[in-house]
Amino acid sequence: MAFPISNRKAIREWRLYLFVVPSLLMVLTFAYFPAASAIYHSFFDWQGGDTKQFIGLENFRRAFGDRVLWNSFVTVFILIIANVLKLIPSIMLAVLIHRLKSDAWQYWYRVLVVVPMIVPQLVTLFIWKFFFDPNLGILNQVLDLTGLKTVLVGIDGLFGWGIFLEGIPVGWLSEPRLIIPALIIWGFPWIGSVGVLIYLAGLQGIGIDVYEAADLDGVTGFQKFLYIELPLILTQVRLTLILLIIGTLQGFGLQLLLLGDSGGPGGRGMVPGLWMYNRAFIAGEFGYACAIGLILFAFILVLTLINNKYVRIDK
Amino acid sequence: MSATVQTVGSHKKRDLPKHIVIWMVLGLELLPFYMMLQISFKDNTSFILNPWFPSNPVDWIWENWLFGIRLIGPYIANTVFVAVSATVATLFLALMGSYFFARYKMPFSGFLWSAFLLLMLMPGVANIVPLFTLLKNLNLLNTLWALIIVGVAGGQVFNIFVLRNFIEDLPKDLFEAAEMDGASHFQQMINIVVPMSGPIIGTLAILSFLGSWNDFLLPLIILRDQELFTLGVGLIYLDGEYVKQWGQIMAAFFVASIPLIIIFLFTMKLFVRGLSAGAVKG
Repeated sequence: MAFPISNRKAIREWRLYLFVVPSLLMVLTFAYFPAASAIYHSFFDWQGGDTKQFIGLENFRRAFGDRVLWNSFVTVFILIIANVLKLIPSIMLAVLIHRLKSDAWQYWYRVLVVVPMIVPQLVTLFIWKFFFDPNLGILNQVLDLTGLKTVLVGIDGLFGWGIFLEGIPVGWLSEPRLIIPALIIWGFPWIGSVGVLIYLAGLQGIGIDVYEAADLDGVTGFQKFLYIELPLILTQVRLTLILLIIGTLQGFGLQLLLLGDSGGPGGRGMVPGLWMYNRAFIAGEFGYACAIGLILFAFILVLTLINNKYVRIDK
Repeated sequence: MSATVQTVGSHKKRDLPKHIVIWMVLGLELLPFYMMLQISFKDNTSFILNPWFPSNPVDWIWENWLFGIRLIGPYIANTVFVAVSATVATLFLALMGSYFFARYKMPFSGFLWSAFLLLMLMPGVANIVPLFTLLKNLNLLNTLWALIIVGVAGGQVFNIFVLRNFIEDLPKDLFEAAEMDGASHFQQMINIVVPMSGPIIGTLAILSFLGSWNDFLLPLIILRDQELFTLGVGLIYLDGEYVKQWGQIMAAFFVASIPLIIIFLFTMKLFVRGLSAGAVKG
C-alpha cells in the first residue's frame, strides 16, 4: 500500500500532484467529456453539425420501438453465450500444457501459443473471410473432403431447411441463416494467446507433489481439473469472462468487417454497436446514435455490477 | 529434484497423447498463418489447382510480394509512427500517474483513483460518436495525431492500474534512501522505478503496441487521405476490391505481419515471462 502522509507533509510534496495531471487531463478530455456529451446529445435531434433541436426523450422512445435494435440485442446475447463457451478450448489447452512433465516442452508450447499474435487481428479476420468464400474458400473444401457436407445435406433434408444442398457451395456469409453460425465458427479452435498464458500463470501454484498425491489417491483426470486446477485459475477465468462479455456486448468490428455496415444479408449480423455506428456515420443521425450508445452502456453497467460481486477489480 | 528425474522416464509415455492433442490444436490455430504464407506465392489459377500445399519454389511468384511491399509499405510507416508514439507516451504518462498513486496516500488520491477506476467500467462504444465531433472541433480529423492522443488517453487506465500495484510492492527503503540523498520525485521514478520494473514495462509496452497495431475502427472513422492510412484502413480498402488476386492480397497480409514478427523475435522471452509471471493479475 501507499504510505499514509500527514497533511503538512502533503503540502510540502505538492509537486507530486503534477505527476497525475497529464493522465487526468487526457482522461477528462477524451473519456469523460465525450461521455457527458453523449448523455447531453441523446436528448437532441442532431446531425453532427452545429444545428440541433431539443426533442426530450423522443430518441429513447424511438429506440424502444426500434425492431432492429432489439433484434440486435438478441443476436449479441447469442454471441455472448457462444463466446463464453469458446473460452473452454483455451482453458483445456492451458491445463494440458501445465500437466506435461517436461519443463522444456511447457516453455516451447507457451511460445507456440503466442505465435498467432504476430498476425494482426484484422488479417486473421480477413483470412477467415477468405475461408468462408463459397467457391474458393477452404471451409467448403474441408466439408467436401471430410464428407461432413453429405452429413449436413442429410440433416438439412430431414428438417427441410434448404441451406445445405448437394452440389451447391455453402454461402456462409450470404445465406441469412448462416450469418450467426459463421460469426461463431470463425477463429476455430478459438485459442486466446493471452488467455492461455494467464491461465498458465494461475496454474503455476500447483506443484508436482500435488499431482503425485492425487495419483496415489486414484483421482481421475477430470476430478483433478475440477478440484485442483479449476479453483486455482478461477480468478483468471472470471477476469477473462467479464472482459469477454463486455467486449462482445460493445464490439462491432468483427461484424463491420465480415458483413459490412448494415449487418450482412437480412441484417442478421446486426449488433447494437454496429447499429449505433450505422445510425451515426451512415444515416447521420448522431443524436439517435448517442441514445443507442447510452442504452448499450446501461446494459454493460448492469452486467458489470453483477460481475463485480464476483470479480474484485481493486487489489 | 532427484525424485522427479527418476519418474520422468515413466511419465513421458503417458504424456504422448497430451502432446498429440496440443499439436493438433496448435496446428489448427496456425492454419491461417500457413495458408497466408503459401498462398502468397501463388496466382489464382495455381491456387485453385492446388489450394493446400506450397507450390514448387521455382514457380513462386515474387511479384506478389513486390505488390504487397509497395502497397503496404507506406501504411506500415504510418502505423509504426502512431504505435511507437502512442506506446511511449502512454507508458510515460501512466508511469507518472501510477507513481503518484503508489508513493503516498495524498489528499484526494482516493477520489482520483475512483475517477480512473470508473473508466474501466465505462464502455468506449458510447463515446465514439461524441469523440468524433470532439476531434472535428479540435481540427484533428484526418490526422495521425488524433490516433496517438486518443490511444494515449484510452491506455491510461489499464496501465496505471497494473503499474500502481507493482510500484507499491517495491521496497520502501529504496525511496527513503534516495530521498535522503536529495533525489526529486522525478529522479526517483527514473532511477528506482524504471530499472526495477523493466519486465513489466516491457510487457505493457508490447500490449500497448499491439493495441495500436490492431486498431482499425478509429482510423476508419477519422482518416480520409490515403497517404495517412494506417494498416487497418489500408487492409479494409484492399479487401473492398472487386477482382481479387488472392496471392497478392495474402502477400500484403504477410507484409503487414512482418513488423510484429520482428518484435516478437526479440521480445518473445520477455513477453511470455511477463505474462506468465502474472503481469496481468486477476
